[in-house]
Amino acid sequence: MRDLKYKIGLLLILIGLFMPISMFAQDGGISGSLILDSLQKFWNNTSFANFEYKYLVMIFVGLVFIYLGIAKNWEPLLLVPIGFGILVGNVPFTEGYKIGIYEPGSVLSILYSGVISGWYPPLIFLGIGAMTDFSTLIANPKLLLLGAAAQVGIFATFIGAYAIGFTPEQCGAIGIIGGADGPTAIFLSSRLAPELMGAIAVAAYSYMALVPVIQPPVMKLLTNKKERVIRMKPPRQVSRFEKIAFPIIGLLLTTFISPSAMPLLGMLFFGNLLKESGVTERLAETARFALINTITILLGLTVGASTQADRFLTVDSLLIFGLGAASFVVATASGVLFAKIMNLFLKEGNKINPLIGSAGVSAVPDSARVSQEVGLHYDKTNHLLMHAMAPNVAGVIGSAVAAGILLSMLS
Amino acid sequence: MIILKINSWAELLFGAAIGISVVFIALAILVILFEIVQKIMIGQSKKKQRKAGKKSDEIVDTSANANEIVAISAAIHLFFNETHDKESNVITIKQIEKRYSPWNSKIYGLNNTLHR
Repeated sequence: MRDLKYKIGLLLILIGLFMPISMFAQDGGISGSLILDSLQKFWNNTSFANFEYKYLVMIFVGLVFIYLGIAKNWEPLLLVPIGFGILVGNVPFTEGYKIGIYEPGSVLSILYSGVISGWYPPLIFLGIGAMTDFSTLIANPKLLLLGAAAQVGIFATFIGAYAIGFTPEQCGAIGIIGGADGPTAIFLSSRLAPELMGAIAVAAYSYMALVPVIQPPVMKLLTNKKERVIRMKPPRQVSRFEKIAFPIIGLLLTTFISPSAMPLLGMLFFGNLLKESGVTERLAETARFALINTITILLGLTVGASTQADRFLTVDSLLIFGLGAASFVVATASGVLFAKIMNLFLKEGNKINPLIGSAGVSAVPDSARVSQEVGLHYDKTNHLLMHAMAPNVAGVIGSAVAAGILLSMLS
Repeated sequence: MIILKINSWAELLFGAAIGISVVFIALAILVILFEIVQKIMIGQSKKKQRKAGKKSDEIVDTSANANEIVAISAAIHLFFNETHDKESNVITIKQIEKRYSPWNSKIYGLNNTLHR
C-alpha cells in the first residue's frame, strides 16, 4: 500500500514536470513535431545512434587491457593508460564537433601531436636514461653483443612484412616491434608509416606486457638443463669515472655511426649522464619521475585512443599483430642462440648462461626478470637478474641504433 | 636522404644484412672500447696499491665472490639486529584502577575561568 502511494506520487511529479512544456508548446504555437525533431537531433548525437559492432569489439579489447594491467599486474603502467585510452577512443560520436583524436583542433588531437611528430619517445628515453644503471654492462662489456643479437628479430620481421606485401617503409616500421621497445616503435612508425602507428604501438606495448608469456617456452626449447644452471662470475665494481664516461663515449660512438638515432640515443645518454654525474640529481630526479610519468600518461592514453575502431580494425592490423608476435619469438631465440655461440669461444668459468640472451630484447626490466625467474626454476640459488640487466639495457641501445639505420635507409 | 632505394627482394635482403651488421659493428666497437677502459682501470688500481706499499703477490682481485658478499651481508644484518633489545611484540592496554584522591584530582590542575 505504501509502495503504491509512492508510485502515484512519482507519477504526479512527472506530470507536473512535463505539463508546463506541453502547455508552452501549445501557447507558443510550437508544434509537437519540433519537440520530436529536437529529440531526434539529440538522439543522433548520442553514441547509441552512431554505434557499430566494431566499437564494441574495441571496448572489449580495452577492458581486457585494463583487466590484465590491474588483475594480472602485467605492465600496469602501460596497459592501464592504453586500455583506458582504447575506451576513450571508441566511444562513438558525430564528427564535426572537434571530439575525436583524428579531428584537427580537438583536445585529444593536440595531445596526440606528441606521438605524431615523435617528440614523446625521446622524452621517455630521457627518463629511461636517468633510471638505468649501466654498471653491469660496463663491468662485462661483451654482454653488449647479446643486445645486438636480439635485434635480428627486427630485420627478420622487416623481411617477413615485405613477403606479406607491405611497402618497404611500412616493413621498417613493423619490423621495429621486434625490438620490444614501445617508444622506439612509435618514433619510427611516426616517420615511416604514420597510417599504421596505432596498430604498431598497440602491438609493441601489448607484446612487451606479454614478455613473461612469450619468452619462457622459447628459452626452454633452445637450452638444455646443463646450460640453464651455468653460474656466472659476479660483476666487478665499476668506478665513477667509467660510469660518467659511458654515456659520453656511447653517445659519440653510436650516433656517429647512426646519426638518425640521435633523438633517442642523445636523450638516453643525456639522462644517464644526469644520473651518474652526481651533481645534477634534481634534474635526474625530475626526468626519472615527474617527466617520464607525465609523458607515459599522455602517450598511453593517446596511443590507446588512436585505435578508433573504424580506422583500427583492418586486416593490416591483424597482420601486424601476427608479425609482432613472430618478431618477439625470433628476437628471443636469436639472443639465446648467440649466447650459446659466444660460449663456444669463452673459457670455463667465464661462460654465459644462455637464459640471459633473451634479455637482449629491450623490454626493460621485464625480460631480465624473465631470465631470473626461469633461471631460479632450475637452480634456486642462481640469481641471473644482475647479469641479465646488461643485455637488457644493451637492447635499448641496439634497438635505437637499428631504428636509426632503418630510418636513414627508408625515409 | 635515402641510402638504399628498395625495389626488389635482393635490395631488401641486402638492406637487412647491412642493418644488422651496422648494429653489431656499433656495439662491438663499444665492447672493445670498454674492454680497453676496463684493463686500464684495473691496471691503475694495481699501480696505486703498489705505490701504497703492497707487494705484487699481496694484490688480489677486489671483486669478491657473490656467496662471500651474501655471507658478509647476513653477518652484518645479524650483528645490527643483536644491538636492539628484544621485545615480546605483544601490545595490550591494561586497565588500571585509580582511587579518587584530591592529590590526583584533575579539577585542581585546570585553569578555572574567572567570573566577574
